[in-house]
Amino acid sequence: MKRSILKPTHRNWLILALIILVAIVILALRWEQTVFWLSRYGIVLRQATVTGLLIGGVYGLVAMGLTLIFGVLGIINFAHGSLMTVGMYLTFVLFTRYGVDPYLSVLITVPVLFGIGLVVQRFIIHPARNAPEHNQLLLTLGLALFIQNFLLVLFTATPRSIRLAYGRGETPIGPFMIDFPLRIWGTTITLPKLAAFVFALALAGGLYLLLQRTDLGKAIRAVAQDRDGAALVGIDTQRINMITFGLGTACVGAAAALVLPFFFVDPLAGDTFNITAFVTVVLGGMGSIPGAMLGGLIIGLTQELGVVLAPSSIKLLGVFIVFILVLLFRPQGLLGVKS
Amino acid sequence: MRLAKRSMLLLVLGCVSLWAGAQTIAIGGIHPLTGGLAADGIQMDNAIQMAIDEINEAGGVLGGTPLSFLSADSTGSAEVGQTEAERLINEGANAIICCFQSSVTTNVATIAEREEVPLVIDVAVMDAILDQGFTYTFRLQPNATAMGVNGANYLKELAEASGEAVDSVVVLFEGTSGFGDSVREAFVAEASELGIVVLDEIGYEPFAVTDLTTEMTKINALRPDVLVVTGYYNDGLLAARNAEDVLLDVKAVFGVAQGTYDQAQFVADAGDLAECFLDSNYHHDASNADALAVLARYESVYGEPMRTSAVFSYQAVYVIADAIERAGSADPPAIRDALAETNFDDFLLPHPGPIVFDETGENVNARPVLMQVQNGSIVQVWPPELAEADPLFPCVSWNR
Repeated sequence: MKRSILKPTHRNWLILALIILVAIVILALRWEQTVFWLSRYGIVLRQATVTGLLIGGVYGLVAMGLTLIFGVLGIINFAHGSLMTVGMYLTFVLFTRYGVDPYLSVLITVPVLFGIGLVVQRFIIHPARNAPEHNQLLLTLGLALFIQNFLLVLFTATPRSIRLAYGRGETPIGPFMIDFPLRIWGTTITLPKLAAFVFALALAGGLYLLLQRTDLGKAIRAVAQDRDGAALVGIDTQRINMITFGLGTACVGAAAALVLPFFFVDPLAGDTFNITAFVTVVLGGMGSIPGAMLGGLIIGLTQELGVVLAPSSIKLLGVFIVFILVLLFRPQGLLGVKS
Repeated sequence: MRLAKRSMLLLVLGCVSLWAGAQTIAIGGIHPLTGGLAADGIQMDNAIQMAIDEINEAGGVLGGTPLSFLSADSTGSAEVGQTEAERLINEGANAIICCFQSSVTTNVATIAEREEVPLVIDVAVMDAILDQGFTYTFRLQPNATAMGVNGANYLKELAEASGEAVDSVVVLFEGTSGFGDSVREAFVAEASELGIVVLDEIGYEPFAVTDLTTEMTKINALRPDVLVVTGYYNDGLLAARNAEDVLLDVKAVFGVAQGTYDQAQFVADAGDLAECFLDSNYHHDASNADALAVLARYESVYGEPMRTSAVFSYQAVYVIADAIERAGSADPPAIRDALAETNFDDFLLPHPGPIVFDETGENVNARPVLMQVQNGSIVQVWPPELAEADPLFPCVSWNR
């Protein structure tokens, strides 16, 4: 691989030093304002950290699916966000038609999206496996457009949202009665976001264990490392491809159900999360599962802290600054392996 | 032989009359039918079709010529909108109604000017669209300046009428298209004139934002009297929910050209939370029975409450039909000349006078009206001559 152009050079470090120097000079010149600012906006800083971590967990879960598929199949799945939208509509329909609690519907959306992933891989991705990479890329893009417009016809563009009957005021969590939203040190933590974060981390941990501890996980990692070698020792690589794509899609199935209580769904809703997922995957290291989760948390934190730090803020600005810095200094990603 | 000749003649006559019958006057419509703004775009497209159907059922224009509808999808992109405008004109559009977004409208207006086909803007707020001296473009809705200036004045008047001080505000706005930014700019300028301090202006990306809790916490720390919001539907809903989450300590949340707080859907989506939200925005005249009949008709045909954006598209068809009648011709430049002379007494819009365009193409009587969610419905509360109910101020649903 020709990565030498992107390798950290002295010039890059010089740029970083310059940026830090400028930041220090600006802060020093406006020292009084800085102190005043901290006393007044400390609470905003804390809220930004909390919100950033909570939402970052969801970003991480979405990015894990994307990075898993990339690691094994070597394709960037542009339909990832649209498949998440499918999961969101599924959760919405289950809730409004059959009264299924969104957190319970994870048990349905995950297997359904896993199944959809299998079918998509077997009948859409697999037939094009020998085509050049950019054709496979376009294929997933085409699939995304198809899903978006299919959902538009089915559900119209009107955004839909659900309202949980619980989650405000005293709420039983196991044996405890907890007053939501939580108010800790001035910050606000709502039940839907806390639940999304906890479930996302648990699912991510589960997926990690699956990959590390089971034979299936070993086989998946073997295919990711060396497809031909894996085939030589008797691993059915096409079966692994299918299962991997299914697992990757199941991640957004879970994420879909988890975000709906505090978000909304329209035919493009899943893509909102996917925009950050692409950045997250590269940030964490292409193909690295822990990297995706770490990347998700960092992106979440960066975008929220951007609100505090920039005077009139546009959230993604900070995210892309971090992104560029990572590409400059650690092009393989935070937890990626140098190839 | 003779029979053959006669049938030949009949055939020719038949063809001619068929050809004459097939003559229609085409109205083009360009709106975002897919993408993040499709909910509005599709409604606007439907509304044009509905108005055209009504006119045709009543006998068409120019003594019997029916109107036809050429529909196009801008996908929300200025480039696509521009290409579609060229296509519609090539396919014979005599006039165009568009676009919902300022960015798309700017491009389409350039094409309309070059090809000399009149363009009636139903919705698009940026002042700059008509600042370029275009002679073929006309706008029905209040522009950004009218939105911002009236919004700031309504807020001031509301505060004075209720005896509550409004000394400071924070403006939360969508900052990635010309819409939120131009309204914000006009509002901030007028608010400063009126002596209201703008403590901060916080922007966000409407199609990438997943949460506004941090912004709301920041606003709480700034302690404004009122939070002013301008943006689209989904982001407005998020803002409302997150304001409740942090128990935002303000006297009111006040939308300016905000796409959420004056929609029936907001009440359906947010329930009790929706109560008390204010929005100074374009609207149909809710005090007029004929206007309400149009809305009821739309809902019975398309199964959704009609959005204000669609009301403007509907109105645009009638404004063009009126111009065609007065022009006595479907020739685009003739329609333009007639449009410039428009004096259309509409019943749909709560404007203080008829639809009259000034030399730049702005509807001189266009102005927003202040609405509020009260007991689960959207009611007009200001200015007093259009009010259906007294405004509730100060009022936020989580402090009631």
